[in-house]
Amino acid sequence: MSGVAVVHASSWGAALVRISPYTFSAIGIAISIGVSVLGAAWGIYITGSSLIGAAIEAPRITSKNLISVIFCEAVAIYGVIVAIILQTKLESVPSSKMYDAESLRAGYAIFASGIIVGFANLVCGLCVGIIGSSCALSDAQNSTLFVKILVIEIFGSALGLFGVIVGIIMSAQATWPTK
Amino acid sequence: PESAEMSTFSGDETAPFFGFLGAAAALVFSCKSFDSLLRFPDFVSLILCVSVVLMFCILCCFPDVVEFTVEIGMGAAYGTAKSGVGVASMGVMRPELVMKSIVPVVMAGVLGIYGLIIAVIISTGINPKAKSYYLFDGYAHLSSGLACGLAGLSAGMAIGIVGDAGVRANAQQPKLFVGMILILIFAEALALYGLIVGIILSSRAGQSRAE
Repeated sequence: MSGVAVVHASSWGAALVRISPYTFSAIGIAISIGVSVLGAAWGIYITGSSLIGAAIEAPRITSKNLISVIFCEAVAIYGVIVAIILQTKLESVPSSKMYDAESLRAGYAIFASGIIVGFANLVCGLCVGIIGSSCALSDAQNSTLFVKILVIEIFGSALGLFGVIVGIIMSAQATWPTK
Repeated sequence: PESAEMSTFSGDETAPFFGFLGAAAALVFSCKSFDSLLRFPDFVSLILCVSVVLMFCILCCFPDVVEFTVEIGMGAAYGTAKSGVGVASMGVMRPELVMKSIVPVVMAGVLGIYGLIIAVIISTGINPKAKSYYLFDGYAHLSSGLACGLAGLSAGMAIGIVGDAGVRANAQQPKLFVGMILILIFAEALALYGLIVGIILSSRAGQSRAE
C-alpha cells in the first residue's frame, strides 16, 4: 500500500488529514522567522529604552552596552538561518500524493521545527532583553557590574541556540514522497 | 462507521481568489486607524495584532497571499505613532530638535516600503493565465508574506518604543543621538531579515511541479 491515509469519516483525524501539508509548512516557516524576529525586537526595545534612559546621566555606558542589543539581534539571525534551511526542505509533490501519510509527516515536521525555533527564540530574546536592560541600569551606577551581568546574559542567549539545534534535527525528518 | 478515502480535491482553483481577497483586506486594515490599540499596554496590542492575523490565516486553510500587509501596516503605524508622540512631547521644550528627531518616524515608514515590495512581487506572481498557480505556489506566497509581515510588525514596535525613549533622552543629553541611531539601525535590520526571507520564499513559488 502506498501509504494513503484512511481514517474514519467521523473522527477528528479526518479533519486533520484534510488540511494540506503545505498549510503546515508555510505557517511553520513563517513562524520560525516571524516569531524569532518578534523576540529579537521585544528584547531590543526593552534593552534600548532602558539603555537610553540610563545614559542621560551616564553617557559613557552607551557604546559598551550595545553588546546587549547585538545579542538580541543574534536571536533574529538564528531565525533567518532556520527559515532558509526549512525552505530548502519544502518540495512540491504531485497532487495525487499530496495527502499521503509521508507527505503529511513532512508537513508536520516543518511546522514543528518552525514552532520550536520561533518560540525558543521568542523567549530567548525576551530574556536577553530584560537582562540587558538591568545590565545598562547597573552599569550606569557602578561600572564594575557590567561584566558580571554580561555573564548572565550569555547564559540566556544559549536558550536560542538550544532551539536552533533541536529545530535543525527535526527538519531532517521532512522527507517528501518521491515521484 | 465507514472509512473515508482521501478525495482528490486539491484546492488549486481557489488559490487566486483568496489571494486577491487578502490584498483588499490588507489595504483596508493598514489604512484603518489603530489608535485604539495604543491605549492598551504594549504586549496586549501585540498579542491582539498577532492573534488576529494568525487566526485569519489558519481559519482559512487556504493561501491568503497578501494578508501580511496588515501586519506591515500595523508595524509602520505603531512605530510612527509611538515615536511621534515622543517627538511631540519633547518638542514642547526643545523645538529646535524636532527635525533631528524625525529619524525614527522615517525608519518606521521604510517598513511600509518593504511591505510594498513584497506585495508587488507576490501580486505580479499570481497570473493563472500565464502560468498555472497551484496550491504549492499559493502557500509559498502566504509564507513569504507572513514572514515579512510578522518581522515588519515586530520591527515597527521596536523602532517605535526605542525612538520614543531616544528622542526624549536626546533632548536632555545631546551625546545620545548617535547611540539612539545605532539601536534604531539594529531594529530596522530585523525588518530587513524578514524582507530577505520573504523574497527567498516567494522565489520558491514558481517551482511547483504538481500534476
